[in-house]
Amino acid sequence: MENEALIELLYKMADDQLILGHRNSEWTGFGPLLEEDIAFSSMAQDKVGHSQALYTLLHSLGEQAPDTIAFLRSAEKFHNCILVELPNGEYDFSLVRHFLYDTAEMIRFEMLRDSSFVPLAQLARKIHGELRYHTLHANTWIKQLGSATEESISRLQHAMSFALPYALGIFEASPYEQTLIDTGVFAGERQLQERWMAKVAEVLASTQLQLPEWSLQQAVLGGRGGRHSEHLAPLLNEMSEVLRIDPSATW
Amino acid sequence: MKSLDPRVERLPEIGIPEQPQSKPPLDQFGTFEVFVQPKEGKPFQHEGAVHAPNLEMAYVLAKETFTRRFVCTSLFVVLTQHVAVSPFADQGEHVFTLLNKASAGGTQESYEIFALAKRGKQHTHVGKVQATSAQAAMAQAESLFAAGAVVINLWAARTRDIRFTSTEEKDFWTTLPEKKFRDASDYKGGDKLKEFLERTT
Repeated sequence: MENEALIELLYKMADDQLILGHRNSEWTGFGPLLEEDIAFSSMAQDKVGHSQALYTLLHSLGEQAPDTIAFLRSAEKFHNCILVELPNGEYDFSLVRHFLYDTAEMIRFEMLRDSSFVPLAQLARKIHGELRYHTLHANTWIKQLGSATEESISRLQHAMSFALPYALGIFEASPYEQTLIDTGVFAGERQLQERWMAKVAEVLASTQLQLPEWSLQQAVLGGRGGRHSEHLAPLLNEMSEVLRIDPSATW
Repeated sequence: MKSLDPRVERLPEIGIPEQPQSKPPLDQFGTFEVFVQPKEGKPFQHEGAVHAPNLEMAYVLAKETFTRRFVCTSLFVVLTQHVAVSPFADQGEHVFTLLNKASAGGTQESYEIFALAKRGKQHTHVGKVQATSAQAAMAQAESLFAAGAVVINLWAARTRDIRFTSTEEKDFWTTLPEKKFRDASDYKGGDKLKEFLERTT
């Protein structure tokens, strides 16, 4: 029971990181500024690295090798939230998603620094600096564009209204919430969501963006249970295209 | 639209009589100078510039542009116009002989001093001085150098104009030494090609 709960937690975290890392890497070469292109690509690479670290932990718990679970599962076996699989669209949406997701990611790993599953606590401490930079990057852009021009403010506002219901899907409860809490592995999605809402509100308060009414937001759920949008399967096909040509090739 | 080629789009209209106009400003961000400390205890070195709309954005963008590979322990940025540049001395001569030492009154402020030892090298951080102006700071900076040190150019930037890395932010680079995959040499492409050619011929 305890192991199943831990495995479920690690899968959803790893899948979020891999899928968002892949989506964000689609901006490489197309970023709005040279410097931003480099920064966004680096952070996408960090995310794929986090997924690899988490898949390696899963492997140590008896799951298949990291490359196998990353590249050779079908969409309904993925546990990422739907937010991270949505297509990039315009840069405003990608920035808002980066802000909403990475704020939650930072808090989640801060909570995991004290996890009773020691390898996860060690990983959380190790990558803290990377996450600190990711959230500094996100917060600085949101503060900048959220108070710059009418166009930048309305674009971010629009992207925020679209993204928030999906972002609430990050916190879709696991069937093992109570086990994770009782065993000291993770303090739970509910606590994470409360801290996330406070942090999002704090950053938006220093901009001209309006925080939509939380009570009117209907969370888009399903991703954690493998029920995805139509956008995940094409992403997985593209991501694993080269590997599938010759799975035995060495690089 | 005249063409899909932006170079054609930028060409002026030809043969249209009109009043002379002032040249329009470029629709671009300003630049910020970037200084990197490769290892604890080593001086900060000037690495280049980034475009950004303000100091904080410059810091965020400089971090990945200049420190995404190899090693780094700290970084700072300053608006290009906030860097005062001394006259250049000839190689082997001393910049301090070219500085106006007359000191004006006013409030003392902290300035960071950067020195260039040789043309083609980078400016290196040497320390800070208290002075009433950038010019006075450069004159005072002579005390930071050992007798006989070669300095052909100086930069001075007011400490409070600089966006430094805070103590907590130093963990930005904790995992950087592990990211060898960002370095082309880590892929050993030549070895792999040689191996492939030997296998196939």
